[in-house]
Amino acid sequence: MTEQAGERPSVLDQLPGELMMWVLIVSELLVFGAGLAAFLAVRITDPAGFSEAQSHLHRAGAGVNTIVLVTSGWLAAHAVCAAEAGRARRLRGLIAGAIALGAVFLVLKGMEYADLAAAGISFETHAFFTFSYLLTGFHAAHVVAGMVLLAVVAVPASPRAVETGAAFWHMVDLVWVLLFPVIYLL
Amino acid sequence: MTITRAWMMLLVLSTASTALAASGMHGAPFVVAVLALAGAKAHIILARYLGLAAAPSILAGFDLSLAVVLILFMGLALAA
Repeated sequence: MTEQAGERPSVLDQLPGELMMWVLIVSELLVFGAGLAAFLAVRITDPAGFSEAQSHLHRAGAGVNTIVLVTSGWLAAHAVCAAEAGRARRLRGLIAGAIALGAVFLVLKGMEYADLAAAGISFETHAFFTFSYLLTGFHAAHVVAGMVLLAVVAVPASPRAVETGAAFWHMVDLVWVLLFPVIYLL
Repeated sequence: MTITRAWMMLLVLSTASTALAASGMHGAPFVVAVLALAGAKAHIILARYLGLAAAPSILAGFDLSLAVVLILFMGLALAA
């Protein structure tokens, strides 16, 4: 009886990749989810002010950045397939493409920050900007971390390493698709 | 759904979000539509990019949690 129970596969065994990466993914989603909920809760106190502040953001640029990130994720997902097929050269090319698109994302984000700074808008201008700088800045830091991680896992090029790096990259993608509508569109 | 088909779906859904915002649509229909599109994108990333399509029970758990969060976001957005 005990032996049978011990042999029963855990539902966690179904998880693709490293369990600890999934713990990280869930943790990050909780942190960003709480941040976005707090943003929306504070917005209730000043909807007109939040709407006016939002008009200073690069909505079209953020839309382009969504395309950039999901395309980068597509390259990373293909890199995992290439790693599993033992095609190290192809996977490194795909990872390089994913990293390059990460850099494009950061350049577009940097242009938005530069325009806000040129307009004299800072963290303290309005609660909207306090939240948007914190949430998008924290996300951008994850983009940088993801780019470094992808570069690191491309060296050994083992399927396990590449899958772990790609999972982190997809988490960055996942956070952005939730962050984009709340900060830029609503 | 292949990875490439998932990517194409994500492109379509992302374009739809931006087009909705540009259309001038507002109020509750806009909030619900934009957050529903975000939920659809998140589901595709979880299922295909992160590979949870191979673990349906875990994917269902993520989808349920995501739905709860998005309903919370909708409530807060509509309360403003």
